[in-house]
Amino acid sequence: MGSPIESWEGATAYFTGAGGSTPMIFLILSVVLCVGLIVHGYIDEEKTYKKHK
Amino acid sequence: MEDQMTWTTTVNMEVYYWWCTAFMFIIHAGFLGYEMGASRMKNVLASGTKNILAFAFVIPTFFFFGWWIYLAFPTGLIPDMSAETMAAGAPWAEAMGPNLADNATGVFWAAFALFAATTASIFSGAVIERIKVTGFIILAILLGSVVWILGASWAWHGDGWLLTEFGWHDFGAAGCVHLVAAMFAFGVLLNLGPRIGKFNPDATANEIKPHNVPMSVFGLMVLFVGFFGFLGGCIIYNGTGQWTTIFGNPATLSAIAFNTVMAFAGGIIGGWAVTRDPFWMMSGALAGVFATASGLDLYWPPLVFILAVAGGALAPIAAKWLENTFKLDDAVGAVSVHGVCGAFGILAFGIFASGYPNGDYPDTNFMGQFIGMITMAVLGFVPGYGVSFVLKQLDMLRIPEEVEILGMDIVKVPVTAYPEGMQSALKGVPAE
Repeated sequence: MGSPIESWEGATAYFTGAGGSTPMIFLILSVVLCVGLIVHGYIDEEKTYKKHK
Repeated sequence: MEDQMTWTTTVNMEVYYWWCTAFMFIIHAGFLGYEMGASRMKNVLASGTKNILAFAFVIPTFFFFGWWIYLAFPTGLIPDMSAETMAAGAPWAEAMGPNLADNATGVFWAAFALFAATTASIFSGAVIERIKVTGFIILAILLGSVVWILGASWAWHGDGWLLTEFGWHDFGAAGCVHLVAAMFAFGVLLNLGPRIGKFNPDATANEIKPHNVPMSVFGLMVLFVGFFGFLGGCIIYNGTGQWTTIFGNPATLSAIAFNTVMAFAGGIIGGWAVTRDPFWMMSGALAGVFATASGLDLYWPPLVFILAVAGGALAPIAAKWLENTFKLDDAVGAVSVHGVCGAFGILAFGIFASGYPNGDYPDTNFMGQFIGMITMAVLGFVPGYGVSFVLKQLDMLRIPEEVEILGMDIVKVPVTAYPEGMQSALKGVPAE
């Protein structure tokens, strides 16, 4: 995690964790977050509808 | 000196697409107003929430897989899994984040992500006031991050098979954006069904009045502004040489300026001539742009004007026909404006702009446009109908009847749109 570079001279990909394994962890987490929030939204929506039946 | 010129060119390119993307956000402001205005008061915030969520979920999913789909599928349904494509578009690629060796990927990705969100917004307006939010989000992701971008890979890419095999031309994305989104919406609407009260037992249609026509009309005018970003994003900045289109032919921003403004004007007049209704005049302006989008880089402006008048006039007529024929409740006329007029524009290009050279590929021609139009229509309709059918079987598509009657805002939205109500002039305003 953190800076993948020690100098700006000749730097290319400089995002946090570039070249390491942490970006993949955050990518997977963000996919899981999206899917999880859709599922959470679905459960919440169904509960709301049941309340008004 | 040469180094400085290279940097100026590179940074100008970034700046150009940065501002195109910013202007495309204005499209969403327009769609938001358009859609909320078209809703009844009891659903206005639920409609707005749905529209905003379409944008919010399409953007990250377009990062996860949408951009890669664009780069990997230009030849058809078999993806290009080469290291070069993965390095350019896979979400874990070094190009897909801050990178001092790559000034282009981010701004191009963002522009395409905004096109993706636009397709979802087109679909969003058609299904207001009765779709479940989570079902809608799933469909919006499917349309914005898979279906349209697959269409763009085929029909809006320098190596897309419709260009290389058939000489297809579609400068302003009438096919992969507008027709695909409209046919997707059409497929969903068939499964979703009309709002309660839209049709009588004898199958005649009632008008469900929008709660705020001025908001819709203003939203549409805002959309026009955003379209300068959209159409600006359709042209390639080459820095040291003439602009080109995605199809490789040279073009100028001046050409697009002539024709875009003429198209908006013609569309308004077409809508006015047929309806006298400001809602359809402004929708007609959009229809005018879609009816001419394929050739905005090539057409003679008076031809654009005539085609746009025809598009603006066609939109409300086609909307009525769709309503009566398919019992379609498309609250904003999206299928007609984006779909019918988009298809009309694609075919019109084949009639009026055949014979332009495409380098090593076939010249522009009517059959190329016809094949592309059918391809885009099928590509939009099949997943829209198929996935919404599955969602319907899972009871994830339509809200319960009681909620629809009561209104979605009161059931699902924690704030009130108009806590002090809205006073209609018809009711009379008490004297001070």
